[in-house]
Amino acid sequence: MEDSNSVIVQNVTKTFRIYHEKRNSIYEYVASILDRQKAVDELSVLRDVSFSVKKGEMLGIIGFNGSGKTTLLKIIGRIYHPDKGSVITNGKVTPFLELGTGFNGELTAKDNIIIYGVILGFTKKEIKEKIESIAKFAEVERFLDTKLKNFSSGMNARLAFATAIQVNPDILLVDEVLSVGDISFQEKSFNTFMDFKKRGKTIIFVSHALDQMRDICDKILWVHDGIIKSYGNPSTVIDEYKQFASTRDKL
Amino acid sequence: MSDSLFREIWERRSLIMLFAFNDVKLRYRNSTLGFLWSFLEPLLMLTVLYLVFTNIIKSVVPNYPLYLLLSLIVWYMFQRATTMGQTSLLDRAGIIQKIYFRREVVVVSSCLTAFIMMGFEFGAFAIFVVAFKFVPPLTILLLPLLLIDLFIMSLGVSLFLSAMTVYFRDLKFIWQIILQALFFVSPIIYQLNMFPDKIRTLLQLNPLVSLLDITHGMALYNTLPTLKESMYLGISTCIVFIFGYVIFKLKSKNLIEEL
Repeated sequence: MEDSNSVIVQNVTKTFRIYHEKRNSIYEYVASILDRQKAVDELSVLRDVSFSVKKGEMLGIIGFNGSGKTTLLKIIGRIYHPDKGSVITNGKVTPFLELGTGFNGELTAKDNIIIYGVILGFTKKEIKEKIESIAKFAEVERFLDTKLKNFSSGMNARLAFATAIQVNPDILLVDEVLSVGDISFQEKSFNTFMDFKKRGKTIIFVSHALDQMRDICDKILWVHDGIIKSYGNPSTVIDEYKQFASTRDKL
Repeated sequence: MSDSLFREIWERRSLIMLFAFNDVKLRYRNSTLGFLWSFLEPLLMLTVLYLVFTNIIKSVVPNYPLYLLLSLIVWYMFQRATTMGQTSLLDRAGIIQKIYFRREVVVVSSCLTAFIMMGFEFGAFAIFVVAFKFVPPLTILLLPLLLIDLFIMSLGVSLFLSAMTVYFRDLKFIWQIILQALFFVSPIIYQLNMFPDKIRTLLQLNPLVSLLDITHGMALYNTLPTLKESMYLGISTCIVFIFGYVIFKLKSKNLIEEL
């Protein structure tokens, strides 16, 4: 049975240090020992969060801004290290946290595809073979030799997305990327995710598009102030969340 | 554990090469002299030092211009690698906050940038060797071993500095001062045997000093280091590297959120 889980999050706790005045020099460090005022506050972002996602499942994460959703994704994506607890992942994880990491306006679209592809984990040769199909998907075939600074933001997003989906991950972490681009691009990227789903990929995504999530997610996880407020059937959780949000707004 | 470290870094070799070569390009692109700059930088330094010190030291050190150039090439490698390595995590913050790969990758690539630049400078060295009609001894063939040692040593220092600098930003300035001091206590301008034995032994405790000393001997004077000297260099390099790596490991856990 254990094999069917593709992500297991166990008792994950994460605390960030918030500096009142930034103390990152040796001088200030020494001064802070002499002056015993507390300059650092701890902000507990996630507390004892546990859940698991089965292989091929689509999990939606909802919650207010600042509730810890992105931090949770970053911990699953190994970018942050949890203070306590552990994350077990079965298979290759690709975070779609912010598309176009490492893009450089001074370089051509082609060069940027190569750089971004290599950052995502391809070898140079592998990504070069994919340039054509990336350009086609992003609808920028004619502009491969154009410098990226001359691209519109839509073209930029399409190019980044087209490159990122070339990675063939087992687990996708998606942070609100569906909300960039125009309607036709949104539809295209939406279809891409559905396609990933059909192929049995595990997808965890953060979004505020509740109605869309109700339709496509298998389960919803509601994070509030660093703890799991509710978890389970999409309709049930989303209704709870909506109700909670409306009563809070009234206060 | 360490097996997966090397595997994960090896799997990212494409990324390491990409970062390293892009940095080399960036360093030369903005100057009209471009690639030539890599030759000019050490040449200018060489000229200045040569003019200043020639009368004092020339008579004592055989092939003094070559001696000086070789010292400078090795020194520049160490200086650039540690300076770029020190800020590598901060410089690539935008990427490592978004995508996971071994953080060591960015430090390794910075050191590699310096290593590639050193390669160009050895081109200049070869030209000088020909111009001075100098016939290098056979022992020069062992030089690559020393350069690998130099790379590992620089990487160890860079790993330590890069992790610590995320927490203490002023280490950047402190390291520049330490580098200046290191320059003068290393046999770059002078030769070690100009000092009395006691001071010499003391200076030689610094692995960089013993590396420079052995390099000169092998590349210019047909002398191989004694077994004791080679062992000391090898072991001290390992210690520097392991120390740097352990500190990096300890500090790197929560490093991303401190960037």
